[in-house]
Amino acid sequence: MSACKVRRDEWIAFMSHELETGREKALSDHLGTCRSCRDEVEDLRALFEEADALGEEARAALASVDWDAIPARIAARLPERAVSTPGFGARFRASVWSPRLRPALAGLLAGIILGGAAAFFALRKPSGRGAASDFFASGEFLDRVELELARRQTLDYLDKGQYLILDVLETPAGSGRPGPDAAASREARDLIASKKYLNPQLDKFGMAKAKELCDQIELLVFELTQLSPEVGAAEVDRIRGMVSDRQLLMKIRLVKKELERSEV
Amino acid sequence: MERRGGQTVGFDREISALMARVKEGDKDAFQDITRRYQRKVFVLAYAFFRDREEALDIVQETFLRLYEKASLFREGEDFQAWLFRIARNLCIDAYRRARHRRVDHVEDARLEALPADGPDCEDAERRADLRALFREVIDRLAAKQRTVFVMKHYNDMPYQEIARTLGIAVGTVKSLHFKAVRNLRKHLGPHMGTAS
Repeated sequence: MSACKVRRDEWIAFMSHELETGREKALSDHLGTCRSCRDEVEDLRALFEEADALGEEARAALASVDWDAIPARIAARLPERAVSTPGFGARFRASVWSPRLRPALAGLLAGIILGGAAAFFALRKPSGRGAASDFFASGEFLDRVELELARRQTLDYLDKGQYLILDVLETPAGSGRPGPDAAASREARDLIASKKYLNPQLDKFGMAKAKELCDQIELLVFELTQLSPEVGAAEVDRIRGMVSDRQLLMKIRLVKKELERSEV
Repeated sequence: MERRGGQTVGFDREISALMARVKEGDKDAFQDITRRYQRKVFVLAYAFFRDREEALDIVQETFLRLYEKASLFREGEDFQAWLFRIARNLCIDAYRRARHRRVDHVEDARLEALPADGPDCEDAERRADLRALFREVIDRLAAKQRTVFVMKHYNDMPYQEIARTLGIAVGTVKSLHFKAVRNLRKHLGPHMGTAS
């Protein structure tokens, strides 16, 4: 955006009237001289006006409710639910996390961290390329190893995702076996777990395309785990629709090819 | 929206006294508190669901939860922040349940389905589409960004109050608001005729 030094988030704060008076005045003056910042503010104004329009809907809905009747209606449900006395756990948590004790807890935490760090530095073995360690790997080498591991794990994830999708697609519509079987459900849960470990690696190595595809597979897999054994054929058809609409299988093949070619 | 700074000590005492009675099971005090805060909770919930009935369900559940958890409210605590935390958690839970149920077909298709007529085409149909798209993009914001955006623009809450309600730093609120705006602009910019 602008070549000037005003940050974008400052204009958001400006439009939201969240700046101190002096700064607000300075930015207001700046608008008179800076075309790109004026454009920026106009863009934000248009966006906030849309948000306000939705806020109007909320206010219209607010006006349509008989608020005088609501408190009594809710109170009428109270006898069904008793006021709970907090259990020991809740009382303990409430007292431990009370604002009065927070400085003490913060001090304790800082002490543990500092003590741990001091113990680590005092007790660790002296390290050095020559002395205790007989193995040395350069940072660049380690990065390459990590990249290769990320590549293989991504390929593995895509493989498994592809098999699972094919399994779902092969389930005949309206057959006696509408949802994924137990093995497929297990596989789906494994995939969800492995994706958690994959995410930081995909981010670290900027594998944006693979990340986007893995995210789509994750969403699909999540949908699969939500299917109950009694689910109808329509639900499975919906999952099939997600696969075909997003051309997932084709994308998986393409990304796999790219990853296979980029072996470290 | 009432600002914490503008609340008088007397007001705080009044709320504390009412909560003390609620803890004893006093239904009149409970109705009094409900009457004072029901609209604010409704606006927050409505912004999440844009559905009157669903928002009313959240209002009801929030105050029932308030009654159940009244004993956990500590005298001197910021009552509105405490109540909003209950409401926000209920909203997020309900929202996640609803989101998992529905198909997210709209993700790419809907964005592309909008007429690419550009900023000159300002007819009513396009505006309706834009508003619908705006809702969908808000729906897809990460929960925290969405919460902050909703509190800021629909509940008219300042950063300070949002931070207190969510139990996070003001800087984090600013950052979440910035990210929400950036994401909205990214998806809506081309359809609003803005630079994004």
